[in-house]
Amino acid sequence: MRIFFILLKKEIKEMLTIPLIVSLVAVLFVFYMIGSVVGKQNKTSAARNNVVVLDFDKSGLSKRIIKSLTDGEYIVKDASSGNLLDAFSNHEYEEESFFMVIPKGLERDFNLEKKHTIEIYARFNKNLSGYSSSYSASKIRKGIERINKDLGVHIIEKKFPLANVEFIKNPVLMEEFVVIGDSIARVSVKRVLLFVHSQTYFFPIAVFFLVFMAAQMIMTAVAGEKENKTLETLLSSPIDRRILVISKLSAAAIVAALLSGGYMFGMRSFMSGIMGQKTAGIALSAQDAFVKLGLIMGPADYLMIGVSLLFCILCALVIALILGVLSEDVKSVGATMTPLMMLIMISYLLPMFIDIGRASFVVKLLLYSIPFTHAFIAPQNILAHNHAAVMWGIVYQAVIFAIFVTIAGKIFSGEALLTFKLRFGKSK
Amino acid sequence: MSKVCNILPMSAVNVLNLVKKYKDFEAVKGLSFDIKEREIFALVGPNGVGKSTTLKMLSTILSPTGGSVEIFGLDIVKDSKEIRKIISYLPEEAGAYKTLTGYEYLRFMASIFFRDKKQVLKTVEYGAEICGLKDKLKDKVKTYSKGMTRKLLLSRAVMIKPRFAILDEPTSGLDILNSFEIRKIIKQLAKDGMTVLLSSHNMFEIEFLSDRLGIMNNGKLLACGAPRDLKEKFSTNDLEEVFIKLIQ
Ligand SMILES: Nc1ncnc2c1ncn2[C@@H]1O[C@H](COP(=O)(O)OP(=O)(O)OP(=O)(O)O)[C@@H](O)[C@H]1O
Ligand SMILES: [Mg+2]
Repeated sequence: MRIFFILLKKEIKEMLTIPLIVSLVAVLFVFYMIGSVVGKQNKTSAARNNVVVLDFDKSGLSKRIIKSLTDGEYIVKDASSGNLLDAFSNHEYEEESFFMVIPKGLERDFNLEKKHTIEIYARFNKNLSGYSSSYSASKIRKGIERINKDLGVHIIEKKFPLANVEFIKNPVLMEEFVVIGDSIARVSVKRVLLFVHSQTYFFPIAVFFLVFMAAQMIMTAVAGEKENKTLETLLSSPIDRRILVISKLSAAAIVAALLSGGYMFGMRSFMSGIMGQKTAGIALSAQDAFVKLGLIMGPADYLMIGVSLLFCILCALVIALILGVLSEDVKSVGATMTPLMMLIMISYLLPMFIDIGRASFVVKLLLYSIPFTHAFIAPQNILAHNHAAVMWGIVYQAVIFAIFVTIAGKIFSGEALLTFKLRFGKSK
Repeated sequence: MSKVCNILPMSAVNVLNLVKKYKDFEAVKGLSFDIKEREIFALVGPNGVGKSTTLKMLSTILSPTGGSVEIFGLDIVKDSKEIRKIISYLPEEAGAYKTLTGYEYLRFMASIFFRDKKQVLKTVEYGAEICGLKDKLKDKVKTYSKGMTRKLLLSRAVMIKPRFAILDEPTSGLDILNSFEIRKIIKQLAKDGMTVLLSSHNMFEIEFLSDRLGIMNNGKLLACGAPRDLKEKFSTNDLEEVFIKLIQ
């Protein structure tokens, strides 16, 4: 035990290098910065609910259209004094991206029941990227829907003065229910999806980062010991070789946990920056429904996800340890790591794009046989009340871990450690 | 097999018909020699003849393909755990943990061998003294020159005062003065009771240091004996000449 802590201390010192800490801080800073900048910009574009209107009809109907927009919390700017090109070039409307032209004769045609056109101009600000462009698009679509609906009501009011307009507007009331397992709750599907998304969004990214960092650290550490021959020194010393293996695994797990903690923190501020308080508000109002649906995870659920994650990391670490032992030196770690990285990538990316439950047998077999998959999909399974799947995943991961620890033990007790070299590319 | 070295029953180390095969290449082909207690025994030979391979087998980090080795009555295969407690191995071209300071490295290695804090401290003090790095011990190992690292590692190997020290080219990379210091230390330690097996390419060093030497070629021992005896046998007063005559 004493030796274990001596080794652990040494390993952590070796792994927690200044470049590593600097890179973590840099990543956190980038996340924080992107989060806050995006958050700020979204707030300003949300606030800019502006429409520049050129009303050439100047009729009761056009007034009604404008009112319909202002009722919809749009800020209407009147530019009817000039033509459209004037409005575009006007400094006052430099920042505006939403222009509406109400042509002359709209009311007249409307009364004759002849279709007429209102023109909408969406102006892009120099580049076509960014969140605000798609945001403007949905804003414009909503504005048009609003006007059409309002004009429909206007027609009904005119033709059937006695009609119950409110009823005609929404003759049937929709009630949405969501069913998860045995639980049913009255809540919109959209809200549930948003909530589930927000709950499961960080997780795979953090797991991926964590596993990657841990694997890389342990591989570099082992390959470094091999390159420096410090491994030979340790192997000829009275240290129990199992303790050598365990201390390396533990140190990498501890350092990786620290890093992932920092990473999760960065991600959280990043995401909350992007989403703002909007999502939080939605989540709050639907809280009861989520509780009813069992979507609010309890301590036991978190524990299960944690255990699954732990075994995922342990599996990755022990595989990385073996790969590290087989690589010739620190420089070749990148290449030797490829097989492990491929497995992690598959189990990270594939479940994001396909529904594992409906995938073909081969794909299912592939995904479930990679131990990491079980950790990546643990939160979804928990939210879907599929605890058994998580349990079996943990059992499977534990079995894989035990197998690889045995292999690692075998390698460390033999001499393959010193004589075996995994080479990529041409051998000398 | 020709008998180049007499095996005495009272030896500290007994090597008998030692063979090592790497996959399909036989690096050591039936090596037999012995080392008496407190003796300094040197293995010499051209590059790639199997010196380091032999030393690694005696350090229990490579397992022999054939033959046997006994160190103080312990078998290197069966009793490897016991052997590791009484030996110390210095690999050739080795480094230390780059993020540790020289002092931390010595303390780390000392605490592997000793439980007692006082003993660890004493050992580290002794190691610090013989490596002669003084204040540099407070610097990180990665700032060390080749020779400084070598001195640190050598002190590490002998500071625990092992019964049997296996030193692969102990003074390679060291300047004349430092080599001289290190040789004196090794000699003194042998006098105090340490048995030493080393490899070297420096005939002057071997003549000064070793009680006996074995000259190796192609995984086999060609000659074995005290420097004086070998010189006599080949009727020359230069050990290098003995070597050249044997290898050619
Ligand atoms: N891990 C290995 N796998 C295969 N062959 C090896 C391995 N290590 C050493 N050899 C081969 O075994 C032979 C002996 O190597 P060894 O390192 O023991 O030589 P050496 O006598 O110490 O040489 P030098 O004086 O250069 O240090 C060499 O031909 C070498 O190519
Ligand atoms: Mg050698």
